[in-house]
Amino acid sequence: MRKNLVAMLTLALMVLAVVGLALAEGNGNARKGKYLYRKSCRGCHAAGGAASDLSPNSHTQAEWKKLFAGWESIKCANEWKALSDEERNDIFTYLHDFAADSPSPAKCS
Amino acid sequence: MPDQSHRRLTRRSFLKAACAGTALAAAAGQTKVLSGLVAEAGAAAAPWQSKFSACDMCFNRCGLIARVENGVVTKLDPNPKFLKSRGMLCAKGNAGIAQLYDPNRLKYPLKRVGARGEGKWQRIGWDEALDLAASKMKEIGEKHTRCGMWFTAGSDLQSQFVTRFAEVYGSFNVTSHESLCLLSNNRAFLDTFGEVPFADVLNSKYILMAGANRFEALVTPDSIDLMTAMREKGAKLVVLDPRYTKTAALADEWYPIRPGTDMAFMLALSHVIITENLYDAAWVAEKTSGLEELAAHVARYNPEWAEAECGVPAADIRRIARELAAAAPEAMVYPGRRSSDYENSTQIRRSFAIVNALLANWDRPGGLLGAREVGLKKPGYDAPWYDDNPPERADAGRAPMMFEEDGSYVLMREAVLSGEPYPVKGWFVFKTNPMQTAPDQGKTRRMIDTLDFMVVVDITMSDTAYLADLILPAPSYLERCDPATALQGSSACACVVQRDPVVPALFESRPVFDILKGLAGRLDLAEFFDFDIETYRAQQLAGLTGAKEALEQDGVYYNPSKVYGIYEGRIYKTLSQRIELFNKRYDQMGLDPLPVYSPPKKGPDKALRLVVGRSAIHTQSSTQDNALLNELEPTNALWLNPADAAGLNVADGEAVEVASSAGKGRLPARVTPDVPPGLVYMATGFGSISPTLTHIHGNGCSIASLLADGYDAISGNAALHETFVTVTRSAS
Ligand code: HEC
Repeated sequence: MRKNLVAMLTLALMVLAVVGLALAEGNGNARKGKYLYRKSCRGCHAAGGAASDLSPNSHTQAEWKKLFAGWESIKCANEWKALSDEERNDIFTYLHDFAADSPSPAKCS
Repeated sequence: MPDQSHRRLTRRSFLKAACAGTALAAAAGQTKVLSGLVAEAGAAAAPWQSKFSACDMCFNRCGLIARVENGVVTKLDPNPKFLKSRGMLCAKGNAGIAQLYDPNRLKYPLKRVGARGEGKWQRIGWDEALDLAASKMKEIGEKHTRCGMWFTAGSDLQSQFVTRFAEVYGSFNVTSHESLCLLSNNRAFLDTFGEVPFADVLNSKYILMAGANRFEALVTPDSIDLMTAMREKGAKLVVLDPRYTKTAALADEWYPIRPGTDMAFMLALSHVIITENLYDAAWVAEKTSGLEELAAHVARYNPEWAEAECGVPAADIRRIARELAAAAPEAMVYPGRRSSDYENSTQIRRSFAIVNALLANWDRPGGLLGAREVGLKKPGYDAPWYDDNPPERADAGRAPMMFEEDGSYVLMREAVLSGEPYPVKGWFVFKTNPMQTAPDQGKTRRMIDTLDFMVVVDITMSDTAYLADLILPAPSYLERCDPATALQGSSACACVVQRDPVVPALFESRPVFDILKGLAGRLDLAEFFDFDIETYRAQQLAGLTGAKEALEQDGVYYNPSKVYGIYEGRIYKTLSQRIELFNKRYDQMGLDPLPVYSPPKKGPDKALRLVVGRSAIHTQSSTQDNALLNELEPTNALWLNPADAAGLNVADGEAVEVASSAGKGRLPARVTPDVPPGLVYMATGFGSISPTLTHIHGNGCSIASLLADGYDAISGNAALHETFVTVTRSAS
């Protein structure tokens, strides 16, 4: 089944909240991924945090695919090790499905 | 309009409202009357004040200055520094005072005591009201998972808090009013350009407008800029509309195109532009993908073929295509707004978007613009996770490209009615009125009957509120502290506005933010609402140098961000990362990657197609009980062509019975050649079932009672122009 997924970015730099919808390419649970990302990653990856301010919008879908394929070599790999394969896949699904090149809707305003 | 008449109208309306308020309040046995409250509220204030606000009589949010005399708002003026509205405040905006001092407003929380729809209410206190709502939400969450609650919010600066509440409470089921409005148009442009554009009408030389009525259905600054472009800069406006609208009347050319055939016209434009090589080949090669596929696809859609479908002469289609191309890139097919019309409206609007791509007008003066940077921040929060929730929204899986954060009202209603894929038994509604705006009112009513609990927060007792278990009174925009909001006015500006109370909230009304905060406290979710709007605003504005000061001094902050050329060095948010003439994602999903024409459905014998719209005086059902506006447009009528009227033996002004597969209604006929034979038109709103809406209760007919519940197959947007009706002379 095709899954429609939600994300609300922490920073909306444009007029319209940049939110996305796409196919669940990772086939994980993007909703859960969003929750896990906020819980496990955003402590560091936020404005004023210890690492780069990261959101789905920071990379294209292809870039997220590449990053996740080689996650063991990312600087914070230790943080990722604490997660199960399923959890990592959920986070991937979330980041990938709302990536910079995923379709993003606008509001009626 | 001269100042004098403004004042007269306003003064008279206020006195009238105040008097009526006294009468009604006395009748209702209230302890305090409206005029008393006003005097009390203003007692300590300086005699004369001017305060900035942003209008809320429609979604445009025009900047205004409220003149407050002895604590009473006596006049609303446009904010001359507000570029998005070009310093204008329309009839609706001027009538905002009558919303504030509307004697028919909800005044305190009401609990239903009779049967649903019986109209029997008990006044209760806020604590009891919030305890009741919280306990019902808890109960439903425990029994049916948190997704058993559905949240619906209209277009309001505080609606974001409803979404936030829904998420932290744990429900995925949130719908906005947009699935009854413009989602298919958004879908189409997103799936072509990667975002929803703003039309730079002001700098355009040639505007083709179809499926939009910009001189009546006002959008700022487009409505105003269109007139300026035409009158001062010689821009040409060509309108396609079966109905002779005010926009059609003012256009250079108007074609009464057959309803539901716009795609044929647009495909033929693409055909001409491609076969005659009228496009900027270098630009199209650099920015777009799928030209070859498009060329092959439109080869068969020549103007002669289109003429047979849409009724516009082939020679005119060919000429318009050439003229558009000659004016390009300062030329456009206007994207439009409400596209809740046909079951293939996303594909119809894709055909509009594709012509724009061929005109090479993206990100350029006089063309279609991307969203500019405003720089407002969205304060984040870490919503909890509820493991027992179902995997998806209840309306998921029925429209393949539904917008997750808007959902689909029509599909959600189906899910609630059927109990599939899981039971949804609670409904929280804020300032939107599906009983009046959504197709098939009877179905909405039946759906409501399946609910265990329904709470509505609104300013007046809308038809939707009338069916609730609990009604909570909200203040109008002139009484609230609202978060900052970012607005883009085409090429005019990218700006921020916010609201502070112009006068204190009347009666016992409470903003939805306070209501949600109260509920959060009762549901162990207080940590997600542990702030007030002022601190929230400070977070939103952080890093925007000078914004706070500008808002205080001018009532608006402008970000001087780049207007044109913002896509230089940037990818388009599509699979190919280019403007997609041919949509790759659709292709992968088994949807038509290029718009394929199919003729509109034919109705049964003698049936007439019903189309709906609105005037410049009303915003659907939300403004119709406004005393001032109702005076200007007191009811709606069924527009009927003289040939049809003669066949039905109906004279102008006579009452007619209108019946469809969804229901029936009664309203006066307006016999006019402004609609073609076979087509009838009526304005939205009216025919209210809620007796407290004294101006529109039983007056006219609601579109909701007649429209059938079709939807756009791709986005799930309602399809409001697929209904056929039979009309008969009314017996009485
Ligand atoms: C303890 C702090 C910390 C946590 C927690 C953390 N990271 Fe990182 N992360 C870093 C640092 C430091 C870097 C390297 C510097 C940088 O890129 O900001 C980094 C780099 C990255 C990069 C590469 C940067 C880029 O944009 O290409 C990615 C992707 C990433 N992290 C993802 C994650 C994800 C996903 C999680 C959650 C599972 C996570 N991080 C949790 C600190 C953290």
